[in-house]
Amino acid sequence: MINFEEEIERFRPSLEVEAVSDTIMKSDITDMADIMMEIMKEIREK
Amino acid sequence: MDYLQKIQYAANSYYNRGLELAHERDLSGAALYLKRALQFNKYHTDARNLLGLIFYELGETSDALIQWVVSINLQPEDNLADHYLDEVQRKPGQLEIASQTIKKYNQALAHAQSGSDDLAVLQLKRIVEEKPNFVKAHLLLSLLYMAHEDYTKAGKSLVKVLHIDQNNPKASRYMEYVKSRTGKADVEKRKLKNAYSHREMQDDDVILPPTYKENTGWQSIINIGIGLFLGVVLVMFMIVPARERSLNSQHNNEMLAYTDKLNLANQEMDRLRKEAEDYQAERAKAEEDLNNLVGDSGSVLVQYQTLAEILDAYRKDDITSAVRLYIDMDASKITNENMMNILTEIQADMAQRAPDVLQSLGEQAAGAGDYDAALHYYEKYMGINDRNPQIIFNMAMIYKAQGDEDTANQLFGQVIMNFSNSELSARAKTERGY
Repeated sequence: MINFEEEIERFRPSLEVEAVSDTIMKSDITDMADIMMEIMKEIREK
Repeated sequence: MDYLQKIQYAANSYYNRGLELAHERDLSGAALYLKRALQFNKYHTDARNLLGLIFYELGETSDALIQWVVSINLQPEDNLADHYLDEVQRKPGQLEIASQTIKKYNQALAHAQSGSDDLAVLQLKRIVEEKPNFVKAHLLLSLLYMAHEDYTKAGKSLVKVLHIDQNNPKASRYMEYVKSRTGKADVEKRKLKNAYSHREMQDDDVILPPTYKENTGWQSIINIGIGLFLGVVLVMFMIVPARERSLNSQHNNEMLAYTDKLNLANQEMDRLRKEAEDYQAERAKAEEDLNNLVGDSGSVLVQYQTLAEILDAYRKDDITSAVRLYIDMDASKITNENMMNILTEIQADMAQRAPDVLQSLGEQAAGAGDYDAALHYYEKYMGINDRNPQIIFNMAMIYKAQGDEDTANQLFGQVIMNFSNSELSARAKTERGY
């Protein structure tokens, strides 16, 4: 059974083209390799 | 194998699976795997570029641009993202159209969320006409159709979504609902059942041949009449309403186009009006600044000029002129550090010498009948020292002479109350008529 009101509320606005550069600036693209390097660095320092 | 190498392998595996799903047009599934690949290795350019392509295919131009721009930043040379960005920007105005479409979608979503379903449907229909691969718009449109129990149209929108992204979870869920409401789910179940079962023909089954019946002349005329009647009914109940619907739809589309144009024009007008207001505010501020600097007697420039004249009067040992200039100067506008040091010295000197000069100037002016000037000097005196009964008494006498009995009595009262032992107190009492 679908609850239409709830379903419509779940839709989110699309990202506007003007907001692209701002979103890129704020985006965090840290990956698993970065985290692993950080951990290894900490271990070495200890 | 070290950890970092393992991470690279994991990223590659996720990418391969994502690529496989993208080939099968399971774009939602592929996007999940590609995102996972990038979580393991952000430098996986192929994964990032493919993710951008998938977003673009789903109609999410902004998300696609983000992935390609990040991709170019991480690998500036020999990168396909450069080509994709070039393609998107090559056609003049294409990016602007995409931007407008996204804005319209967001507006339609706002309409839908505020309960203006009709407006939302009209807007979304236009959006999917302009951008047939905008999956989110199709999904919202189909949901609105479903909410109004128009399951046929909802189904058509969902078919389009599933054609673009064949395992889209939301579209699949909606489609199940639509099928359950239209009875197609039962038909499909039966078809599936029939595909795996059949009944063998029995010996006593009889195949009846189609019968032939010859019509008489009257029957032919009646049949023609019935045919004509059915034809008229068909025109009345099916073709005319369909034509009406088509005209209505055309009219609505035209109205929507005009509304869009009007909205854009209004937005532009608002922007220009705001710009004009900003410019006017800037101009007013600039004029005010200019006036403050060079304008009337209260301007900054005039205060510096007055300070120079005070120094000149000091140089000539003309303390009376120095005091006259000093009392009308606005010291708060002197902000230059060197000048402020000079001003501090002048202020200290004026605190000592100005009262006598001001009293003398006040008495001279009063004697000459220039009561306004006299009051001006006395008020400036009071600004430096308000405990001299003679000045208060003099001011009271001037007010009395001017016919301002209330102010005069108030000042006489001050002398009587605050300086009761002075000789002036007795005179003040006499003036008040005690």
